[in-house]
Amino acid sequence: MDLYLPIAEMSVNAPLLVALGAAVGFISGLFGIGGGFLMTPVLVFMGIPPAVAVASLSNHVAASSISSVVAYSRRRAVDFRMGGVLAGGGVVGAVIGVEAFRLIRLLGQADLVVSVSYLLFLGVIGALMLRESLGTILRRRRGETAAPPRDRRPVLLYALPFKVRFPRSRLYISVIPPIALGIFVGVLSAIMGVGGGFILVPAMVYLLRMPAPVVVGTSLFQIVITTTLTSVLQAGRNQTVDIVLAGLLLVGGVIGAQLGAKASARFRAEELRALLAVIVLLVGLRMGLGLFIRPEEPFMLMSGMG
Amino acid sequence: MALDAPPPQPPAAVAGVLTETRVKVTSGFHGARISIYGAVFDSSDQPTDVVVVVRGPDQPLRIARKVRVAGIWLNSRPVVFEGAPGFYRAASTRPLGDIARFGQLRRLGLGLDHLNIATPAERRVETRYGVRDMVVSGLGADYHQWRGAVIRLKQAAGLYSADADGVRFVDEGLFRAEFALPAAAPTGVYRARIILFRDGQPVSIRDRTLTVEKAGLERTVYLFAHRRPWLYGLVSAAMALAAGWGAAWAFRRS
Repeated sequence: MDLYLPIAEMSVNAPLLVALGAAVGFISGLFGIGGGFLMTPVLVFMGIPPAVAVASLSNHVAASSISSVVAYSRRRAVDFRMGGVLAGGGVVGAVIGVEAFRLIRLLGQADLVVSVSYLLFLGVIGALMLRESLGTILRRRRGETAAPPRDRRPVLLYALPFKVRFPRSRLYISVIPPIALGIFVGVLSAIMGVGGGFILVPAMVYLLRMPAPVVVGTSLFQIVITTTLTSVLQAGRNQTVDIVLAGLLLVGGVIGAQLGAKASARFRAEELRALLAVIVLLVGLRMGLGLFIRPEEPFMLMSGMG
Repeated sequence: MALDAPPPQPPAAVAGVLTETRVKVTSGFHGARISIYGAVFDSSDQPTDVVVVVRGPDQPLRIARKVRVAGIWLNSRPVVFEGAPGFYRAASTRPLGDIARFGQLRRLGLGLDHLNIATPAERRVETRYGVRDMVVSGLGADYHQWRGAVIRLKQAAGLYSADADGVRFVDEGLFRAEFALPAAAPTGVYRARIILFRDGQPVSIRDRTLTVEKAGLERTVYLFAHRRPWLYGLVSAAMALAAGWGAAWAFRRS
């Protein structure tokens, strides 16, 4: 059953998109990521113009993430205060990122920047997460006690000014690192067309030292705020949000996300992280591969005037 | 010279009509087939040729080339073609090269080798020298490669085509040409030009237009998104959030 997308101006197979939305939604709910880093490459591969894919996805990710946030907040697994601080930085970062990306697109280097960002960030984060989570799993198998308690209080978190209490995370740290993290993720999300959960989740665990149970819900909460803003910005400035495309992905996505969020309670956190690490690593390598393989067609059309 | 006195035969003329003049793009749209019927009125018995060219609305286009730098494939600086047709099809009774000379085909923009594409911005600076069909630009000798790439990529997308057997006489003086509009064809006004050739000269030209437009819900959404973009953004974001929230509630109940 084909359906014509009014903004993308092409017809697509509707059931396929719903299934894709469900699959990515499940992963999104399971790992607490927006899933954009998986969906963007798939949509572009299906022939949807990248600008439309990225913009419509921000709309879709906002919807599927909020449905997960509601599920997580019922389990009291969302630190709204921390999420708000992160989102504050994310808003600033998204605006910077959108402008930077416009410039890069005008120079015709969007492909390069996207490929390099995917390779670099997904590769590094995937590898780090895999090492850490496998280490934890192995230690548990060998019957050792959990990793040595993190008694080293990172100078970055505690020595900086503007300390704020985050009761849900049981932290009393400076707001500067979370805001900086939010800005960084905001920039990246605008450039890579993703929510940024794959950076946020590990950064919250390893840099902010947040307790694992609240990490996923909080990252989703931050993603809801930034992607909602990005989607409005994209629609207002570029008219690239295709509500039909977002809707199709959403039908599958919300169902998938609910199932994913429920399923996540059955797995150990480190096992989930190991699985996510493998997925992240594979996507990063796949996106980066294009940089090294001789293209079959040396020329490529770019839509419109960018 | 082509500007010699017109041929002294009785005037030959061509007429044509499209089976559809309006194509509505609705939610089920996956392309359309359109036929052009036409007639040749010619009292002499000299051989004639018919060429039918359908050209979609011009659009700016950017194209980049992959270049290898330090082992990594990068995009070159993109070249802007200011207007390339969004759709192009040239159908004829015989190969175009047999119908008319190179110069004539170029003037009329007939065939994939000759279709008019507004030149890259880089080149315009150089046209001050008064050399019109010479390429003395930043692209230099590569110009033909770039132009060729545009046509090749558009052909691959089913948007450009040429068929040397695409116009067929179905009865004496009555011909038919058919073309397929892919779902990716841009919306806008298309021009179908029917040209009657005799002895390599165009003797009669008819233009017909075809409008491809969005209709129904698609049109409503498209217009809303383009005329009130900020409101559209807010509404679509609100819909997304409401849908996500609603789904979470629905799952809690179940």
